[in-house]
Parts: sequence; C-alpha cells; structure tokens
Amino acid sequence: MASLHWRDWATDPEQLRRLDFLGKVPLFAGLSRHQLGKLLVKLFEKEYAPGETIFLEGEPGKALFIVLDGTVSIFHAGHGAEERVTSLARGAYFGELALIDDLPRSASARADAQSVLLILYKSHFDDLIEGHSTIAIRVMGNLLKALAGYVRAAHARSADHATTLPGSATALEQGEKPLERPDR
Amino acid sequence: MNRVQPGDATKGAGPSRSARLIPPPASILWGVAIVITTLLVYLSRELVLLLFVSAALAYLLSPLVRTAESAAIRRELAVTGLFITLVVTLLLAAYFLVPRLRAEVSTLYRTSSSLTERLDEAIDAIQKEITTDYPAARRMFPEREARYDRLNAFIEHQTANVPNLVSHLATIVLAGVLIPFFTYFLLRDSRRIVQFLMDRLPPVHIETSVAVWCQIDQIIGRYLRGLAMDGLVIGVAAASGLWVLGVNYPLLLGAFSGLANVVPFLGPILGGGVAMLVALIQFKSLAPLGKVLVLYLGIKLLDDVVIQPMTIGHSVHLHPALLIASVIVGEHAFGLIGMIVAVPAVTVLQETTRLLLERRHHQAGLPDTHPRRGVPIQHFVC
Repeated sequence: MASLHWRDWATDPEQLRRLDFLGKVPLFAGLSRHQLGKLLVKLFEKEYAPGETIFLEGEPGKALFIVLDGTVSIFHAGHGAEERVTSLARGAYFGELALIDDLPRSASARADAQSVLLILYKSHFDDLIEGHSTIAIRVMGNLLKALAGYVRAAHARSADHATTLPGSATALEQGEKPLERPDR
Repeated sequence: MNRVQPGDATKGAGPSRSARLIPPPASILWGVAIVITTLLVYLSRELVLLLFVSAALAYLLSPLVRTAESAAIRRELAVTGLFITLVVTLLLAAYFLVPRLRAEVSTLYRTSSSLTERLDEAIDAIQKEITTDYPAARRMFPEREARYDRLNAFIEHQTANVPNLVSHLATIVLAGVLIPFFTYFLLRDSRRIVQFLMDRLPPVHIETSVAVWCQIDQIIGRYLRGLAMDGLVIGVAAASGLWVLGVNYPLLLGAFSGLANVVPFLGPILGGGVAMLVALIQFKSLAPLGKVLVLYLGIKLLDDVVIQPMTIGHSVHLHPALLIASVIVGEHAFGLIGMIVAVPAVTVLQETTRLLLERRHHQAGLPDTHPRRGVPIQHFVC
C-alpha cells in the first residue's frame, strides 16, 4: 500500500495518461511502454482554435502531428477550389511523410474544432531511431503498412476511374461506341 | 479626384500622409530588434555569461532528466534527485582528488618564485645539448643575460593579472552560488518555458518554429555534451600519459589540458605548451620534451579521428574561416567564455537562416535544388 502511494507521488499523472494515449496511436503500435516513454519526451504540444491552419500545402514538411484532442481536416488544392480529403479525430496522425523525406506538404491541414496536437519533429525522430533500432523497425514497419494502404487505395481509385473513362473496356462492355482512331 | 500616379514621389512631390504612416517592413523591425537585443546582451554581459554557463550545464544534464521523465517520473523530483546525486559525487571527488591536487598546486606555488631561474637553467641546458651536437647552432641563440631579461619580462607580464583574480573573488563566489541556482531552475522549467513560447506562437509558423527550436536544441546540446565528454577523455589521456612519462603534476596538467580543450584551436596548443614547459623545467633535456610533444600530438590525432566524431560528431558544419573568425569575435566580446560559445552560436545562426530561407524558397515556389531529394522514383508500385 505504501509503495503504491510512493509511486503515485513520484509519477506524473499527465505523462502516464499520454503514455496510454501514445500506445493507442496506430503508428506506434507494438512499442513497449519504455520505448513510448522515450518517444513521449520528444513531443511538443500545441493548441489550435477552430479554423486555424496547421500547415499549408507546398510548405516544407518538418514534423508529424498527432491529434490529442479535437478534430482536424485535411484539404487538397483541387482545380481552383479546396477539396476536403479527410477528417481526423483523437488518436489519428497526419504529416507522416515529413518523417520520410524533405519534400513540401502535399496537402493542407486545418483544425475543425478546438484541438490539441502533439508534434514530433523529424530530426528528433531521426535521433530516436538512430539510437534505438527496435523503435526504428516498429515505427517504420507501421509507417510502411500505412503507406502500402494508401498505395492500394490509390490504385483501386485509379482503376475505378479508368473503368469509367470513355473508351475503357468496362465502358465498352456497357455499350459505349469505341473511339475512332484519328487518321494521320 | 487627385490620384497619386506611380512615380509621382520621384518627380519632386513629397510622400503623402498615408505613405508616411505605412509601418516599416517586418524585416527592418526584426533587424532593429536583433540590434537592440545584441546591445542589451553586451551591456549586461556578466549576467548573460552566468546564464550561458548555467544553460550549458542544464544542457549537459538534460538527457538524465529526460530519461527519468520518459519513465513518467515527475520532472521536479528528477531534477532534485539529480542535484543531490551531483552534490554527493562532487563531495566524494573532493574527498579523494582534492588533497592530491592541492599538494600539486602548493608544490607549484612554492617553486614558482624561482620559475624564471629554473626556466633559464632548463633553456641553458638544452642550448648546451644542441650546441654540443651542432656547434653551428650557437649563432642562433641570444646571449644569456639578454635572454634572462626577456624571459623575466615575459613571466612578469603573464602573471600580472593574477592579483586581479583575488579582486574578482566576490564575482567568483557569486557565480558559484548563482550558476547552480540558475541551472536548477532552467532544468526544472525548460519544458514549461518552451511550452509558454509555443502557446504564444502563431499557429501558421509553428512548424518552422519547432524546426528551428529543435535544430538549436540539437546543435547546442550535442556540441556542449560532446565538448564535455571530449574534455574529460583528453584530460584523462593527458594525465595518464604524463604520469607514464614521469612528468610532474600529471593530475593538474591533465585537468588543465581537458579544460583548455574546450577552446577551439588554442586549447590543445595551450594544454600541450604548458605540459612541455613543465617537462622542460623538470628534465632540462630535449628527449623528454619530444616525448611530451609526441604524446600531445597523439592525443590530438586521437581526438580528431576517434573522440570528436563520436562525441561532437557532425553537429558543427562551419567553414574553417568562419570558425576562426567566430572564435576571434567571441573572444573580443566575451573573453574566454565567448571563445567557447562562439562556435555553437554561429552554427545556430547558420542553421536558423538556412531553415528560414528554405521556407521562403518553398513559399516563392522556386524549383527544388536540395541534393538529398535526388532519390530515383519508381513510377509503379504493386
């Protein structure tokens, strides 16, 4: 009983809550509590008001963002107007490509509601995985799984799109007249 | 209606009232702010130096606090525990090492009154050794009286500032109290300070700000921790080597070499020079002097090839000319501490400028020229 009191007094409840939260983020699945602790001390926290821009498409990407509270929307600049790609809630992460390359952001992010985000900067992440191969393998594995998912989804979308394009096999099967080859 | 046409102002008409009220561009305001801050820092440089030293100590100790924090231990508790451990370690070190160091210092102090004579005797012995083998070299050496006068004047000049140290005793004692005090609070509250600044930053700038902060944190942290580790290894290597060679005061000279090593360029020369001077007075012969020289050259080589890449690593990417210039300017502005602080300070400025320019480059939509981005792209994935 006394040891329990001592542990309560010595530990930071906020840090413990965040450790539990990080364990549930898909990107960090499979990391031990000790490894999550190493990651936790590298994170920054920032509160965003509704409608505030988190980052803009085309800006240099330097960090990964994790939604601790609130909701965030991802936008992509379409032909003239912004197109909402997705909406993310507590536990979701975005901006993960910044951990891989130094290329500009491929979309913009904006807070939908009062949101609190945890920010992991690329150089801190690089530092962490340089010294801890297990963390590197787990996180990179999770990141690869996520990226593979995006690639498959993109392939499926482009395949769907191709089948409905004029002149495609599906469109022809559905009775469309084949396009005539222009004579040279 | 009177419309101001472009170029009217250049045709002799003064700027309109509205034009005069336009605030100056942000870059000018930033420039003025930087100049005022630099001036204030320079004017209160004694306090700033104490803060610098405290911040450096906080950086050295922060990985230990972060390790405790990663285990969800309260930061206040971790910092207090660390300070208690440090005090106990210092007391133990004082108990075991200080009597020996004090003995070396008191021997040095007792014999320092005859330093000029002993040095003169040593130089005379070496001259004899050289002229025995090479009589033609006799013409190169000055007369003994002239040399003695010059040597005396040199030593008097070098030791002229020593009494000033006593007059600065109050400052030294104050530093001894204030530095641990500042270090404690910097370590305890650094996370809160960063969070306070983050809360006040405009959200749209957060990513670049975090990037700049992380870069600064990494450079300073890695540089200072590397420097401390480097100094420790150099000190131990020099003390061990001098002890093996039988040179007097190995502990004192090792400690001096380790401390001097934190000063870029000048430090290793100073450390080796003092050790060679002691060896010269002690042995009055060229051979041991050569051994000490070889020892210090070996340590320097080991430092450059093995120790520094492992400790400081690639945290500093300064052009050698810029590195030397920064050390000289640092020395002029803040003395010895300025020499130590100059290199990380200039590196931080360089990295910050690079990141801000990169952001501006992206905003301007200029083509990407980053060398690391030239990775070949596979156009099909299955």
